[in-house]
Amino acid sequence: MYKFISSLLIGLSLGAIYSLMSISLVLVWRSTRVVNFAQAGQAIVSTYIAYEVVNRTGSFWLAFIVAILAGALLGAIVDRYFMRPLFKRVTTGPIVAIAPVVATLGLLGILRAIVGFIWGVELKPIAAPVSLDGYSLGSEVLPFAPYNALVILIVAIVLIVLSLLFQKTNLGLSLRASAFSPEIARLSGVRVNEIRTLGWAIAGAAGAIAGILATPTSYLSPNSLDILLVFGFAAAVIGGLESMVGAVVGGLVLGLGVTFVSNYVSTSLIFPTAFVFLIVILLVRPSGIVAGKRSRRA
Amino acid sequence: MRKRLLLFIALGWVLLFIGDRVDELRVYQGASIAVYTIAIGSIILLTGYSGQISLGHGALMAFGGYVAALCVANASLPLWFAFVMAALLTGIFGGVLGFAAARLSGPYLAGTTLALAVGLPSLANQFSILGGEQGIYLDPGLPPARLGEDFSQYKWFFWITTLAALITMFWLSNILRSKYGRTWRALRGNEVAAQLCGVHTGRQKVLAFALSSGLAGLAGALLVLTISTVSPSAFPLSLSFALVTGAVVSGIYDLKGVMLGAVILVIIPEIADSVASRFGDSLKIISTLPGLLVSALLILAVLFTPNGPGEKLHHLRHKRKAHSG
Repeated sequence: MYKFISSLLIGLSLGAIYSLMSISLVLVWRSTRVVNFAQAGQAIVSTYIAYEVVNRTGSFWLAFIVAILAGALLGAIVDRYFMRPLFKRVTTGPIVAIAPVVATLGLLGILRAIVGFIWGVELKPIAAPVSLDGYSLGSEVLPFAPYNALVILIVAIVLIVLSLLFQKTNLGLSLRASAFSPEIARLSGVRVNEIRTLGWAIAGAAGAIAGILATPTSYLSPNSLDILLVFGFAAAVIGGLESMVGAVVGGLVLGLGVTFVSNYVSTSLIFPTAFVFLIVILLVRPSGIVAGKRSRRA
Repeated sequence: MRKRLLLFIALGWVLLFIGDRVDELRVYQGASIAVYTIAIGSIILLTGYSGQISLGHGALMAFGGYVAALCVANASLPLWFAFVMAALLTGIFGGVLGFAAARLSGPYLAGTTLALAVGLPSLANQFSILGGEQGIYLDPGLPPARLGEDFSQYKWFFWITTLAALITMFWLSNILRSKYGRTWRALRGNEVAAQLCGVHTGRQKVLAFALSSGLAGLAGALLVLTISTVSPSAFPLSLSFALVTGAVVSGIYDLKGVMLGAVILVIIPEIADSVASRFGDSLKIISTLPGLLVSALLILAVLFTPNGPGEKLHHLRHKRKAHSG
């Protein structure tokens, strides 16, 4: 029972981080039809900036805010000065279908190399703002720590803010409209290009939060977030790649699944578990748990 | 077809001749080039012809490498048989995987194969027969005695890999011209139209994925031969990315440029080393520069020669003709 509860709680906090990464992938996919593999690179840049801020000022929260802003700015820059020119330039030939994948992959490599060049490739820690020691339940110490609770809380707040933004504001309406049908949105007076860049910025911010929340329980290195990218993608596919609710559900399912397998079976089965999840979902329900109507034709 | 066979045989003689004239390091690099040629060929088959994209070919190479090493180390089978097994079993594995993945398109397949590339090597720590982080030692054996006393190990590797690469490329260039190649191209061009012409799209995609996986497995086995141990660290994620880069740089829709990509992939670490030594051997530069070069090359290739250097040259020649005429 004790093992069950601790797996549940840890799984939730892990799943919360996957959800954020998954949301940032879904946001970009919906609006641009690009799976942004560079998201891990953008997040690693903002997390290293946060690391620098923590080192200079000692404040995790200041670093947290700076990371969000940096992530958003970077997301906007990537769209405005990289993806948009790319789409304008590469319009003919069979390369069009794979150009976005290849380009974001290249960008991932470049961002990683830049980070490695500035900060080196050694593992770097970021201290958690609250304790990483588990709560004790009677005589037993749970692996679930105040920090994990904080992660769940922060992600919940972010999700509420995002859903308010998308459901209750004009901006959210424009974001949804230009993702749903760019042409019609443009005809209704939405400045689709600017809105799309804004979507990339929001996605970048979500990815940045995922990056900085994932780091205190492990280490920071130029490729430490690649794993998060893979899990975020798996979560997004489980959720159907189209819906933000799906992304969150996918993230939580994956987080819980991975934690239960690693607690009950073996810790080294984490990757295979995620992979099996991904394959099973693709075989059984290719449109994801939270199915959209559109078919899976990219 | 006979003409092409003669061409390949001639190319083999030229390579043999070159292999005799250069020093050990170059011979070793030649072997690496041959290995990358096969691996990039497998990506061109998959992406250029059938239109599927894979970021996980590094993992498939790892699969082939482990199969070969297990064959030689545990069952003490002959080397050539181990390579055949590697290609065959990886092909079957790829077929099974393709059954799930090949029904997908573009980014879905890319993400799934990415997960494979991250996940599969970590399995090596799970089963003790795979030797954990240290991996398995593959004893390549000595070159046959009748080749002479001073026939070095590296030259032996070079012979094996080059022969494999030549056979593979000959086979590949034939199959891409056959009815299968045409079917795949039709598939890539317009899936619905291909379907209307009676192409069983799902089956063809799985077939392409399986064949491509088999080639990747063979490349992995040969790679293990040249580095003599198979371990998870020999097949990092960056290997998968490098293969995609190599394929895009060589012109992903054309087999002709395939060696260009392979040569570039072998040269890049050397460039990085020489740059690093000029700036005082910093660990930072050595460990980040190859990645930076590969990625930058990938982006530049997509931007400036999206359909391969061949098309660009063709285009330029055309322009010049138009000007002079």
